[in-house]
Amino acid sequence: MDDQGCPRCKTTKYRNPSLKLMVNVCGHTLCENCVDMLFVRGSGNCVQCDTPLRKSNFRLQLFEDPAIDKEVEIRKRVLKIYNKRDFDFSSLREYNDYLEQVEEIVYNLTNNVDVERTKQIMEQYQRENRDVIQRNKVKLTREQEELEEILLLEQQDTEQRRLETLQEEQRQLQAKRKNKQALLDELERSQLPASILLAQHKDRAAQLETQIEKQKQSVKPTTIFSTGIPKGQTVSLAPVIRVEEVLYKYQPINVETYGPPLPELEQLDRLGYLNHVRTATPQDLAGGYTSELACHRALQDAFSGLFTSLV
Amino acid sequence: MYHNSSQKKYWTFDNEAPLEQMRHEANQKYRSKAISLRKPGINDSSFLDPREEKVLFRHYEKRLLDFCSVFKPAMPKSVVGTACMYFRRFYLNNSLMEYHPRTIMLTCAYLSCKVDEFNVSSTQFVGNLQENPASQERALEQILEYELLLIQQLNFHLVVHNPYRPMEGFIIDLKTRYPMLENPEMLRKNADDFLNRAAVTDAGLLFSPSQIALTAVLNSAARAGLKMETYLTECMGLKDDKETLSKMYDAMRRMTILLKEYELPRPEEVNVCKQKLERIHAEFAQTTNLLMAPVERRKEEGRRGCSVRF
Repeated sequence: MDDQGCPRCKTTKYRNPSLKLMVNVCGHTLCENCVDMLFVRGSGNCVQCDTPLRKSNFRLQLFEDPAIDKEVEIRKRVLKIYNKRDFDFSSLREYNDYLEQVEEIVYNLTNNVDVERTKQIMEQYQRENRDVIQRNKVKLTREQEELEEILLLEQQDTEQRRLETLQEEQRQLQAKRKNKQALLDELERSQLPASILLAQHKDRAAQLETQIEKQKQSVKPTTIFSTGIPKGQTVSLAPVIRVEEVLYKYQPINVETYGPPLPELEQLDRLGYLNHVRTATPQDLAGGYTSELACHRALQDAFSGLFTSLV
Repeated sequence: MYHNSSQKKYWTFDNEAPLEQMRHEANQKYRSKAISLRKPGINDSSFLDPREEKVLFRHYEKRLLDFCSVFKPAMPKSVVGTACMYFRRFYLNNSLMEYHPRTIMLTCAYLSCKVDEFNVSSTQFVGNLQENPASQERALEQILEYELLLIQQLNFHLVVHNPYRPMEGFIIDLKTRYPMLENPEMLRKNADDFLNRAAVTDAGLLFSPSQIALTAVLNSAARAGLKMETYLTECMGLKDDKETLSKMYDAMRRMTILLKEYELPRPEEVNVCKQKLERIHAEFAQTTNLLMAPVERRKEEGRRGCSVRF
């Protein structure tokens, strides 16, 4: 975000990294201070494109490119109207056509192409599909509610756990304090010698410690896996159906060289060809070059095509 | 490899007849194109006929070889061979009157350096021309202009198999499998000489590079008075295949005749033909540019803006 400056006061952005950029419906950015200064009366014109704007329309910029923020806003608005889902359509093709329509509308509104006509199309669609929109809105809110419920549950769980640990600590502290107090009381009252009392006290303290340790280590057993599947559910262990096809049989390729047969790369040494080729130096060998390669290549070239137009 | 190369499929012919035919056709095509421009004072005799074209072609080919031999850094043989082959293939389908051989010859050398991975920068390349830097710059521009045309006329078949490596292969094979020949190394020089002479003939378009190399080796042995027939019968496995053997000898005989027939044209003849060529180019150079179809012209202009130089 630091490479972008506020288009109006330019310098202030770099000097103050905590300053935020705000975007509004025309897609241009302004830093917070400039927004406050220009829109002190509540409404004004954009610095770059002179469209009339309201201060309330300014939102914190989430993306580096203000055009993306603008598009995100437009998309939210459009999807509020065009909220059909994939099971609302009878075929995949229709769903894809619908999605393409939506994309075109968003594109037109973002790039100020045919704005009037697009708005008219949107209004028409809204009028025609009013009930479908309503139904889907309800469905959507229900889903959102369910999500929120789950979130709430999680939050409550963590709260609970936090409280419990706190309480545990408190109890342990209190137990320790009581122990110390008991020792002092006994030292006052009892007839036994001090050393025995101290030994007894130490024993009790050690017992307390081990108890605390044991409690810390005992984990509360859970009833569900981390993905949400409850434990204890029976899983079918039936084997997956095998699909067998025709086995692939390797056929070696047959290349016609139109020439006499060539010895194999590995045979060259045995047949004595390598005595007549320059031996590979250690540097060549390190790179992966062997003298067989050069020898084989020369022989290949010599024999290839020798009998063309003769057979 | 040669046996599945484009050279074998598209650029090897059975005998000289189709070659002569193609050159003749290219000549005719240019003539009719030029005549359709209806310039005054140009009649049939002001054009080059195939014989004169051959004279000029051989002259410029020799100049190409000279250029490559004094090239700094030293050009490897395969680059020279490839350049020669490009030159030959180009003028199989085009006439010398349409594209001046001097520019084409430099373009062939330039392209061959690139294709054979002999790294020379373009400035270094034109530095080898014996001229002042300004005309070197102009020459470079011309080369870059014609480069795409050359590639196009080669039908984008840029890999050329030269007979130099097969010759090495044969010498190795002789040393390993043919003990009757005591010192195959002494054949090398004459065989090399044979290959250089074969490069300026149509042999590359008629025979496979391994055949040319074999002929070179056998010829060199014959020159030294050594008999090598058993090499073909024993080592090449042609003992029982009399037909292939006789055809092989036939091909080799044809090749040696081709080489013998080659002679460098005389300077007076060359000068006469050159004058004619210059006149034709001066007359038609402007108009042929305009004759190019608009698509071609745009392509040329676009390409000029993005020619790759290294």
